Amino acid sequence: MKCRPLALAAKDLRLVFADGAGIIQPVLLGLILVFVFSLSTPVGEEVPAQAAAAIFWLATSFAVILVFNTLYSLEGANQARIGLLLSPMPVQYIWMGKALSGLVLLLTAQIFFLPAIIVFLGQDLMVSWPGALGTILLIDWGLVAVGSLLGAMSQGHSARDSLLSVVVFPLLVPLLLAGISMGSFFLGEGTGGEPGSWLGLVLAFNALFTGAALVLFPFIYGEY
Amino acid sequence: MKNMQVNANKNSNLSLAGALVLAGGAALALSQYFIWIHAPVEVTMGLVQKIFYLHLPAAWWGMICFFIVFCASIGFLLRRSPAMDQLAASAAEIGLLYSTMALATGSLWARVSWNTWWTWDPRLSTALIMWFIYAGYLVLRQSIDNRRKMRMVAAVLGIMAFLNVPLVFLSARMWRSIHPAVFASEGGGLEPEMLTTVIVCVVSLGLLTAGLLMFRFRQKNIQERVLDLYRH
Repeated sequence: MKCRPLALAAKDLRLVFADGAGIIQPVLLGLILVFVFSLSTPVGEEVPAQAAAAIFWLATSFAVILVFNTLYSLEGANQARIGLLLSPMPVQYIWMGKALSGLVLLLTAQIFFLPAIIVFLGQDLMVSWPGALGTILLIDWGLVAVGSLLGAMSQGHSARDSLLSVVVFPLLVPLLLAGISMGSFFLGEGTGGEPGSWLGLVLAFNALFTGAALVLFPFIYGEY
Repeated sequence: MKNMQVNANKNSNLSLAGALVLAGGAALALSQYFIWIHAPVEVTMGLVQKIFYLHLPAAWWGMICFFIVFCASIGFLLRRSPAMDQLAASAAEIGLLYSTMALATGSLWARVSWNTWWTWDPRLSTALIMWFIYAGYLVLRQSIDNRRKMRMVAAVLGIMAFLNVPLVFLSARMWRSIHPAVFASEGGGLEPEMLTTVIVCVVSLGLLTAGLLMFRFRQKNIQERVLDLYRH
């Protein structure tokens, strides 16, 4: 019973990677965003670390939307969603499984975004790689907690991408501010305050929305 | 007999809503005396500071409406009562209207006081982000055809949106702030006449808000019943 979320995540990942489109789409969109924003500064001028961090998290936010739409549409065909609901496990395990697979897909996309930030935006100074990676993981946790909850909500809707972006982006603002501030610190600028205080905010966000998701997910996913 | 009692209750609710709107309208008219005659002109900002008497009540009542959305959403999830959903929807609409008023008046005021239409400030940013969230909430309600699903999803979003308020405010404050703390200093940062005027304006808008909320709630209730007739 304990491994059900992992089994669900493994099933989703196998399907997404077998098809390829589910991961290529967010990676391509993110890379395009990074490239387009690299045009915002005149030739020869450096992009500030804070702007680079903002672009990185913007690309990640769009990836969250695409990733969770893909993950929840996997059960869209042939009423497979009912099968998932009837499976002998708490409904919250579905949220957990989707969040886990979403986290893997998001980290995969970020593997491409990080070098793109270095190449296109000229960010070659990293204060602490372990700190930066830890920050990315923590913020990703909050992103997938909200993404996995609200991804279920736009299921079966024709304009689900745009609907989800309108609802999710404003909710993610505290997390994105923390990501930008901590990102600029690790890229060597550090204008947005102490990373420690932002870390507290990120942990509070993650705890609050993970708890809220566990309570609220059955209400959303049970309706169809 | 029961139907007659229900109808009598509905009529008395309608009368109460009408009375509240009328009282709110009259109180708002009276508040103009307090704004323009009773309250002194602020020394540094001059006449433009008078916009504060609309800005602050709109911001406060907007936030209270969003709190009603939060409570009604919890009520809906617990009791599955369509009335709770209608109350949440009505409060979200009025809250969004007041937030728009607060943002517009704040922006006009900021242009004169701070020489900028917009600045990154915790209260401004929180108001704008809440505006985006509740605008998204109303768009979402329109976008989902299945009413059962729409109500459930809207209730979940109504709860999540309000849970986010402290975090949004805290993160925006950590980013940077230049907004004046009107009631932060001991005894408030306002002259007694100004404080009286603020209280009158807040109460007036409160009466109007309560009346509008009851009217809108009733409209939504009737709309639902008409739709039910059409669907059956």
